[in-house]
Amino acid sequence: MIRFSAAAKRYPGGLEALRGVTLEVGDGEMVAVTGHSGAGKSTLLKLAAGIERASAGTVLVQGQNLAALGEAALAVLRRRVGFVFQDHKLLFDRNAFENVALPLRIAGFPPEEAARRVRAALDKVGLLAREKAMPVALSGGEQQRLCIARAIVNRPMILIADEPTGHLDAEYARSIMELFASFHQVGVTVLLSTHDEASAARLGCRRVALSAGLVAGAAP
Amino acid sequence: MRLWLRLHALAFGDALRRLAAQPVASLLSILVLGVAIAIPVVAAVVLETVGATTAGFDTDPHVNVFLSLDASDSDAKRVGEALRAEPGVAAVRFIPKAQALAELQATTHLADLLSSFDRNPLPDAYAVRLRATDPARIGALKAAWSRLPKVDQVVADFEWAERLGRWARFGRRLVLGMAALLAAAVAFIVAHLIRLQVVTRREEIQVSELVGATAADVRRPFLYHGLLQGLLAAAAALALAAGFAAWIDAEVLALTPQYAPELKVAFLSPLERLAVVAGASLLGLAGAWAAVSRELRRFSSGG
Repeated sequence: MIRFSAAAKRYPGGLEALRGVTLEVGDGEMVAVTGHSGAGKSTLLKLAAGIERASAGTVLVQGQNLAALGEAALAVLRRRVGFVFQDHKLLFDRNAFENVALPLRIAGFPPEEAARRVRAALDKVGLLAREKAMPVALSGGEQQRLCIARAIVNRPMILIADEPTGHLDAEYARSIMELFASFHQVGVTVLLSTHDEASAARLGCRRVALSAGLVAGAAP
Repeated sequence: MRLWLRLHALAFGDALRRLAAQPVASLLSILVLGVAIAIPVVAAVVLETVGATTAGFDTDPHVNVFLSLDASDSDAKRVGEALRAEPGVAAVRFIPKAQALAELQATTHLADLLSSFDRNPLPDAYAVRLRATDPARIGALKAAWSRLPKVDQVVADFEWAERLGRWARFGRRLVLGMAALLAAAVAFIVAHLIRLQVVTRREEIQVSELVGATAADVRRPFLYHGLLQGLLAAAAALALAAGFAAWIDAEVLALTPQYAPELKVAFLSPLERLAVVAGASLLGLAGAWAAVSRELRRFSSGG
């Protein structure tokens, strides 16, 4: 479960990305955060994943107040939250397999166990045949899938995705959204952001609209 | 515990791969570090060789009084009494000619030569330890004792030995100072090399942190990298120094005078070698630690 209470984020330099958001995402729930670019969607997701810290208010993830965690504990929390980055954040000097294996290496998984999990994750996103491919050789949609594989390889209970269909054509976007729906169906809590109201509506999940750093509305 | 070991094994493997990924650059940097470490090691070897040779020399103020070959036991006794009566004398030791011969045969190559004599060519002697160190006073005593009956020669040859001892102390200090400077150089070189590594891996570090790496996780492979550089550099330095020692060993042997104990190059003991390797590894570790910590702070402040 993720709970934001009057969570605010002011960046150094004065930009106020969030101005007091209160929102609860229940266990196993799927929530889409919508809004224009600059509405604070990315910041909200980064607070939930422990990538950024709130400058005011509290963020609770699975009962833990993130403000109370030290840097190392916050890093360990990030292992339990899968995050799909808007700009993928893939490493271009290593192949698909190694990119997906990175979180497991960091967590110190035994190599055989790690390889099994990496292949399972690649299989899940339909990239098993391309495990040796370098990211530059992958299409935009495939890179997005690779990023998703890396996010789920630790088998997190929470999956967060920042504009996962941002640069994709409609056909590809639909298949990515179906992928997230399938994770939701097996009990994973999914929190994703999109500026595309229509594709959010197709998901059939709760939608929360952000505007200028505040919750502007919710549906249904 | 298992996990801890695995994390360290992974980091160690990473460090080895990083060294192997740029074999020429790694080799060159290890050689640079190795030369820096080899310089004080070689200096220490030279000093130790000289030190071992001079360790037997007596540097306290003393005078040897040699009696003439025909001096009888009672002559020797009379001279001894005269020496002991002098207030500037701390101790007097009698060295009978038989004992002198035995010592000479035991410590030099002259055994064959000495046994070819049909009688002992050495005189009785007194080793006199002085309280006085003032050269004028010692000169006066020498002159007075040479006039004693049946005294053949009075020799005060400690002065050059004392001077040599001073040079040895000076040399030791020089080596220590040089070692300290070059140790600092090793730490700085490693810090610089690791800093370059950190900067070129900036993206990898940032992505690793995003997917759950702690600062310690990020640091670990770099620390092993620095440690390995120090370790390999120390091994290279010892090999260089050993090669040098072997190269000069023959010359040193040729320098050995016929009448002196054999000169030998004194290479570092196993314990000293271990200390060089451990010290260099620690310097590598310290340099890497400083570089990584500094760069990570810069990353997190957005620099």
